[in-house]
Amino acid sequence: MIDTGNARCLEIKDVSKKFGAVTAVDHLSLYVEQGQIFSLLGPSGCGKTTTLRLVAGLETVDQGEVLLNGKIVNDIPAHKRECSTVFQTLALFPHMTVEQNIAYGLERRKVAKKEIIRKVARMLDLVQLLGMEKRRPSQISGGQRQRVALARSLVLEPKILLLDEPLSSLDRKLRKEMTIELKRVQREVGITFLYVTHDQKVALSMSDRIAVMSKGKIEQIDTAQGIYEVPKTYFVAEFMGAVNIFRCRLASRSGEKMYFETEEGMKILAAMCTGVCAEKATGISVHPELIELSPIGTKIANKNVFKGKIAEMNYQGDCIEVKLAYHDSKNPITVSLSNRIRGQSLYKVGEEVLFHWEADGSNVLTD
Amino acid sequence: MKGRKVARSVLLGISVLSYIILWAPALVLILFSFSKNRFGIKWEGFTLEWYANLLSQPAAMDALKLSILVVAIAIVVSSLGGTLAAYGLYKYQFKGRGILRVVSLLPLVMPTVVTGAAMLVYFTQLIHLRLGIGSVIIAHITFTIPLSTFVVLGRMSRIDWSLEEASIDLGANKVTTFWKITFPLLLPSIFASGLLIFPWSFNDFITTYFVAGVGVTTLPIYIFSQVRHSTTPIVNTIGAIFIIIPLLGTLFTSFFRNRKSAQSRSGHD
Repeated sequence: MIDTGNARCLEIKDVSKKFGAVTAVDHLSLYVEQGQIFSLLGPSGCGKTTTLRLVAGLETVDQGEVLLNGKIVNDIPAHKRECSTVFQTLALFPHMTVEQNIAYGLERRKVAKKEIIRKVARMLDLVQLLGMEKRRPSQISGGQRQRVALARSLVLEPKILLLDEPLSSLDRKLRKEMTIELKRVQREVGITFLYVTHDQKVALSMSDRIAVMSKGKIEQIDTAQGIYEVPKTYFVAEFMGAVNIFRCRLASRSGEKMYFETEEGMKILAAMCTGVCAEKATGISVHPELIELSPIGTKIANKNVFKGKIAEMNYQGDCIEVKLAYHDSKNPITVSLSNRIRGQSLYKVGEEVLFHWEADGSNVLTD
Repeated sequence: MKGRKVARSVLLGISVLSYIILWAPALVLILFSFSKNRFGIKWEGFTLEWYANLLSQPAAMDALKLSILVVAIAIVVSSLGGTLAAYGLYKYQFKGRGILRVVSLLPLVMPTVVTGAAMLVYFTQLIHLRLGIGSVIIAHITFTIPLSTFVVLGRMSRIDWSLEEASIDLGANKVTTFWKITFPLLLPSIFASGLLIFPWSFNDFITTYFVAGVGVTTLPIYIFSQVRHSTTPIVNTIGAIFIIIPLLGTLFTSFFRNRKSAQSRSGHD
């Protein structure tokens, strides 16, 4: 984890939360730097939303500390914390207009009427909702509701904005647009975002840093690129789509190169990472798009070359997903062929092919 | 094709017949309220005499006023009590909540004769309350509060409670959140429970008859005593009024609602 030395807007220290016998958050620690977009990524039930609610003050911590701008806020009730939440359901007040929704928080803070009008107008401009002031939430589109929820929280100029999967109800196209929109707004206002999501794509495209969570614990914290390209654990690798996972041990090493051997006898070459991780290595993961296919007999420069039989071919539009059987291994190898050769399929199901990848495509997993 | 046609006309016949059965007594009653017949039991020509007569019948007017007073108090008290009860039963976790929820709705399904008799014994033998307007109002509230609780609870299960959290998150305390967010969201159901309570309380005869005591006459009791001694056209007129007014009210609300929903539809572009 690289500490850039920027101010820490949010810090969570060894926080736990139980609901009855279920541990939702388990000794979790993380920090978010000022002005960053930080994502909590994980499957449903991993504790990411609970973590967000603990920060918002909507749940109380059983153990540990939550710090906002360096101050412990454990005992400060939700309505007095300097953070604001965009809820998954958006939770726009249905009996109020767009304008009244946005002004709600300011009114609670007893801001002068003139000031409220000015701030609301600025927000409407920022989220491009001018002209919608008098509409009710039921009279605007899903994307517009999203913007209202965002404006309602941002207008309070919180220290940190907490977003709980706010885009999950949108269709794919709109979600992509809103992701870009969110980033633009964040750049303009410079407020720190804590973003909770189960959608890898959204997390990768939004975040400065990502924490992947599982069972109430953090599996890995890294930049988007780090999480995707260099997952450290089996869980992160699989969750980020590096579905080809080989259990193996370090067999030998020479200089920059490391040779691993799987139980099935595959010898996999990996590029040097750091000395430490090689010894603790228990597996290798490879992203499907890094594996290439060639007809039998082709001369190949790559070091990891194996022979397999095509078991399945699934057309996906932008790519073709190929499942390969390797010897008598139970787990098929997944290869994603980019669909640049339109309409032609080079290979057929049942055909034997060579599959291969570069040494630096092998990512070393530690546990 | 032919079979379908027959089926359709049979269905139409049944529908028309059902409506006639439902509405014929009411129509006859309305018709006879304009009849010159002294007993209001057959048609002898048009008159407005009985309507004029009703206005000059102090006993009928007193009964009406008393009924309206009872209904008004019942609605106010049970809207308040019912909303609070529903809020507590829905929002707070405590032991025996499930049982309490069922028990609090029990008065709705108990036979009114039982409730009436029980209440009479309770008032006279146990707490020695003098029977009168007070006892009538209390008796009415015992079955109107559950109605209100029931309706408001129904609404609560359909409310998005993250709205309350959003309000708190935006800086409102619990009290402000209730008045600014929860209460406005519940208001339609509180209003609806009022509409439901009105006929229940206004119509109630049995329970009222048990606990009214001497001299306290609500409209149903007045009508009953009139009919028991002799049929008079005044009963017809009262009946006609209480059919026509709610009917107009219903038509008006549904017309208003249709227009409103048409408006909000055109709001979506």
